[in-house]
Amino acid sequence: MPGISHRQDEEEFRGATGSLFRIALSPTIWAFHFLFCYAGAAVWCAKVGTEEGITFLRLSILGLTLLALLVIGWQGWHSYRQWAPHDNDDHVEGPHRFLGHAALLLSIISFVGVVYVALPALFIETCL
Amino acid sequence: MTRCGKQATRGPAPPAFLVLPLMLGACEGRQSALMPGGQDASQLFLIFMVMLGGAVVLWVALNGMFYYFTQVNRRHFALRHGNRIIIGAGVILPTVVVGALLAWGLSIMPSQRARGDGLVIRVNAEEWWWRVEYWPPGAEAPIASANEIRFPAGSRTELQLTASTYIHSLWIPSLGGKMDMIPGRQTVLTLHPDLEGFYRGQCAEFCGASHALMAFEAVVMAPSAFDTWLASQATPAAEPVTQDQMQGKSIFRREGCGACHTIRGTEFTGAVGPDLTHLASRASLAAGIMEVERDDLMTWIAHTREIKPQVAMPAYDWLSPEELAALAAYLESLE
Amino acid sequence: MIDRAPQGPYPPTEAMLAEPVPQDLRDAQEDRLRKVWKTKTGIRYLMSVNNSEVGKWYSLTCFAFMLAAGVLALLMRVQLAYPGMQFLDADRFNQFFTMHGSAMMFLFAVPLFEAMAILILPAFLGARDMPFPRLSAFGYWSFLIGGVFVLGSVLFDAAPKSGWFMYPPLATMDPGVGSDIWLLGLSFIEIASIAAAVELIVGVLKCRPPGMRINTMPLYAWYVLVVGGMILFAFPPLIAGDLLFELERALDWPFFDPSRGGDPIFWQHLFWIFGHPEVYIVFLPSVAIAAMVVPTMAQRPIVGYSWIVLSAVGTGFLSFGLWVHHMFTTGLPMISLAFFSAASEAVVIPTGIQLFVFLVTLMIGNVQKSLPMLWIAGGLAIFTAGGLTGIMLAIAPFDWQVHDTYFIVAHLHYTLFGGMILPVMAGVYYFFPFFTKRVLSVRLGKWAFWLIFGGFNLTFLPMHLTGLLGMPRRVFTYQPDLGWNTLNLVSSVGAFIIAAGFLVFTYDLLRPGKPRLRERNPWNAGTLEWSDTLSDDAWGVRSIPFITSRYPLWDQPQLVDRMAQGRYYLPDAPEGYRETMVTSVIDARPVQVQRVTGDAWITLLAAVFIGGSFILPTFHHYVAGALSGMVGVGCILYWLWTSTARVPEKDMKDAGLGLSLPTYASGPQSVGWWAMWITMLGDATAFASVVFGFFFYWTADANFPPQGAAHADPWLVGLSALALVVAWALTLGARYLNRTGRTPFARAALIAGPLAALAGGGMLVLSVLHLEPSSHVYPAVVCALVIWTGVHVLVGVLMQLYCLAGTIFGKIDPDHDADLWNVSLYWHFHVLTVLVTATVIGLGPRLL
Repeated sequence: MPGISHRQDEEEFRGATGSLFRIALSPTIWAFHFLFCYAGAAVWCAKVGTEEGITFLRLSILGLTLLALLVIGWQGWHSYRQWAPHDNDDHVEGPHRFLGHAALLLSIISFVGVVYVALPALFIETCL
Repeated sequence: MTRCGKQATRGPAPPAFLVLPLMLGACEGRQSALMPGGQDASQLFLIFMVMLGGAVVLWVALNGMFYYFTQVNRRHFALRHGNRIIIGAGVILPTVVVGALLAWGLSIMPSQRARGDGLVIRVNAEEWWWRVEYWPPGAEAPIASANEIRFPAGSRTELQLTASTYIHSLWIPSLGGKMDMIPGRQTVLTLHPDLEGFYRGQCAEFCGASHALMAFEAVVMAPSAFDTWLASQATPAAEPVTQDQMQGKSIFRREGCGACHTIRGTEFTGAVGPDLTHLASRASLAAGIMEVERDDLMTWIAHTREIKPQVAMPAYDWLSPEELAALAAYLESLE
Repeated sequence: MIDRAPQGPYPPTEAMLAEPVPQDLRDAQEDRLRKVWKTKTGIRYLMSVNNSEVGKWYSLTCFAFMLAAGVLALLMRVQLAYPGMQFLDADRFNQFFTMHGSAMMFLFAVPLFEAMAILILPAFLGARDMPFPRLSAFGYWSFLIGGVFVLGSVLFDAAPKSGWFMYPPLATMDPGVGSDIWLLGLSFIEIASIAAAVELIVGVLKCRPPGMRINTMPLYAWYVLVVGGMILFAFPPLIAGDLLFELERALDWPFFDPSRGGDPIFWQHLFWIFGHPEVYIVFLPSVAIAAMVVPTMAQRPIVGYSWIVLSAVGTGFLSFGLWVHHMFTTGLPMISLAFFSAASEAVVIPTGIQLFVFLVTLMIGNVQKSLPMLWIAGGLAIFTAGGLTGIMLAIAPFDWQVHDTYFIVAHLHYTLFGGMILPVMAGVYYFFPFFTKRVLSVRLGKWAFWLIFGGFNLTFLPMHLTGLLGMPRRVFTYQPDLGWNTLNLVSSVGAFIIAAGFLVFTYDLLRPGKPRLRERNPWNAGTLEWSDTLSDDAWGVRSIPFITSRYPLWDQPQLVDRMAQGRYYLPDAPEGYRETMVTSVIDARPVQVQRVTGDAWITLLAAVFIGGSFILPTFHHYVAGALSGMVGVGCILYWLWTSTARVPEKDMKDAGLGLSLPTYASGPQSVGWWAMWITMLGDATAFASVVFGFFFYWTADANFPPQGAAHADPWLVGLSALALVVAWALTLGARYLNRTGRTPFARAALIAGPLAALAGGGMLVLSVLHLEPSSHVYPAVVCALVIWTGVHVLVGVLMQLYCLAGTIFGKIDPDHDADLWNVSLYWHFHVLTVLVTATVIGLGPRLL
């Protein structure tokens, strides 16, 4: 009869942190991307000045955006592999597949979020 | 001149169809974001109307679906229809629609904050009134006024905003968005009025006891009329002519009004309260809540703190009606 | 070392579960359980800590505060019915609108989440109680004391009157005690909220029934997890802000005074970093209720469980990127506004997904018409309208036009009524039979619904137009010639119709003689809270079930019967302790039998004295306040010492179904360690907010730190950091030495540790003693960092001494070292705080 061992528990603990980390990865990248954009703009406009224009800032934001989208895309692909599409939504999937699905969906939302947050760099050309 | 009479000269206001059912009087649209009188407000009015239309459609669609599926059509749908709805209506549609709206919104921001064309007006928010200074291009010294802001039509005016003690916010809905006035900072609002007329602005950031009573008149004039008016504002005050007016001036002196108020061309140079040099040329008294006419002036001077809670100016309720009338007569002569 | 691995078979086989429980054993078990979980009567009822009692008090108190805040709203609507009304003067009106907002947010919306979660979460999870029942009770008493204090100030004409957002300089310069009442009273409640959040997170992660994997738990639990996490990151910035604010009020440290380098905008950042996530903290738990009601009403599982999880987690994250949309008109750089505009639009997507998931579930299912469904439908209609105006407002230029007008008043009430009040009402009607074993009247419920729904739209729909016609918010009166008169009158009439609706509801709630529940599961729901509704016993569940499905009552036909027989886990209380089960985070494998704390006066006393330490300083009784605080800390220490992490009488016990589980756990296995981790995350967030202040002033002011300003003594700062790192190492060493059986050395480390810590704290204070914090914001923020770190040094020392006493008096031994684990976890966080403080105040002025 199967029992529970400490080792199993520790493995699960490690697996748990890993999975929860993977769930949170894409939104965390969104958060850091957002934070960088906001803090970068705040410091640039306060310390470098409004007169110089913000071309450098805008280009950095676009570069960072591409990087963030790349990581989120990679993460989304991995999550997709973990989930692998299944027709029957009612079927209770195992935690492993479930976490893959949730991480995939969060990657999609984070992707959209990063694109949205990058839009200002296209339209705004001054600090003012 | 009356404040509302000129409204008619503003020409056909674009959103008349919205205002008609409300039967607003001639005066009633002068603080309305729905009756734009300038570039900025018109742009915002347009984006609002588009968003309103979209919102109504989406609201009806979503709630209509809800009603239909729970009340009308009770058959069971297949799961794949459901997943399509979640992905299509829950993810793709909002991403596209909201994304497009966001792009539009971002794209109009720079024009809303474009630089001014030359005229600078500095407004400092006091408790609870507005200190106004006009700085035409090249001016060395400002032309002081209070509780009324005049704009030349057809160009972009820059308002440089500061505040003394509390945070306030300057807002003329008919001309454009608002901007906060923050102690220790200077903020900038630029407005491009087009339609001549009388508008009303009001403090929009809660600022204590008399927040509700901190308004002002905003007047948009033809550029030439504006120049003439500004030149006249730069002149010293008119001397009292009648017996009443002269008595009023001596009461003004006796009661120490000059310690707080400036009347240029006289010995009164106080800087605590509003500049009264051309008080009678303004359309309102006590920051947009009363008229500059005999009765209102008398009531205001004798009952300041009943009318405007916690205002700095004490109530001169010991003055006799005759003295008040004389004082009012003097103030009314400051055209 | 004792091997604490669970012994015996798991998961249970069908044969084991099918075996009946002998009737005499069953009766004996029930007697013992009943005795252990018995609710006290008479005055001793107030000692109760059980989640069902505390949850009931909590919910009713929230409801009472809501009614009070609603009455304030009615009085305001009377004043605004006509232009120039003299019903309330400006000062009174300002007190009322400030208290209306503050009370609705801090005394109703957020606490109600905690109240309802405490009340229903254990039942969703088939748990006997929350993991820390006394903490829930402490949180409740703190909430009651703080709430009565804050709300009561209205009766004495002493209420805060600077708006619920308390913007300086208006609020800092306010001459009365109102601002202090707000700051101190609500800080006290916020701390209680964080305590509740910690408990709820641990409850969801560690107290699920065996087999309820993370992807099988009820959606409500997911929302609790997300909202608990949000509270942890959203409330601390406000607490940090409150601290700075009160330092300015009491000691004239100029954090928000521009004449001495401060900046009123900094408060706005801190307030809204809290304030916007708070909106979602209010909204998500109500969606969570809908996520429980909708599947029941559709009689089928939710379609898209993962989608709901995605939208809860996604909304939680995105909601932290929206705060500046409350500051669109403060003149920040356009590009900064644009980022927040974008993030505010992005949050629409996860929010919308939830609505479509509900719609689709109803579409595929077989919809039952019922009262909860009516409230959900009304909520949807109202919330979607509020959400759509929210999309408009996130467009920054449009917000410049309608910001701080009645358009916003309309928008926020649409989101809060639609997103919170109506779903919660659905929840009340839905769960009422579970709470009270009685049913509410359908007829009165419909009356209440249509009055509230109709009245609401009559009140708030016109306000959109009022705002567009130029009427600003927070005005106590208005001019008659601006076209606002009719609209305002209509709104005022509507407000009284809403009130009539709540009156009907309150009558129904309180009237005696409501019919008793006759069937166990009146809605035929699928989740565990309906497994044991007919018995009057306070034990929560008769036995803790083994779960294999998201809707166990639908999918596990014999479950209810077997639970009632006591076939599952922990069917007995042979040692006379209140116990619940602790399981692993992902797969919910049994880990431990947790002895939970029982009824006591000490929690009430602790709340009274800690409350005193917040309330007395409001009236400048600083010494009395400090004394009260010390007694309060003493109460908490007594409570921890006597009832947490006790060495058990035996290390393993039979948990039922042949499974033998440890009764003691330390480190990551224990719930206490998780609670410490989560608490410290919140603590670190508050600290980060103060550090953010330092850098905020640096960006906001070209002259920061000011030329020629005095700095903290860098050598003393360095030495202090060194001493505190030593104290940290000694604490860690004590844990290691104790575990390896070298108890005398562990004690020596626990004596040296506090000494090193005190030396470090002392040097830190000395390094800034020559600064004059009231002269400029730079020395003020440096001193604030030192105060923060210094207080944490004292707490750390107290913890070390607690462990020292533990090793001496037998509470800690090599096999039972939970306290040492928790204390060293505290010190991990604390040493980070120390290093950051030392870097910022020691090196900052040289590098910036």
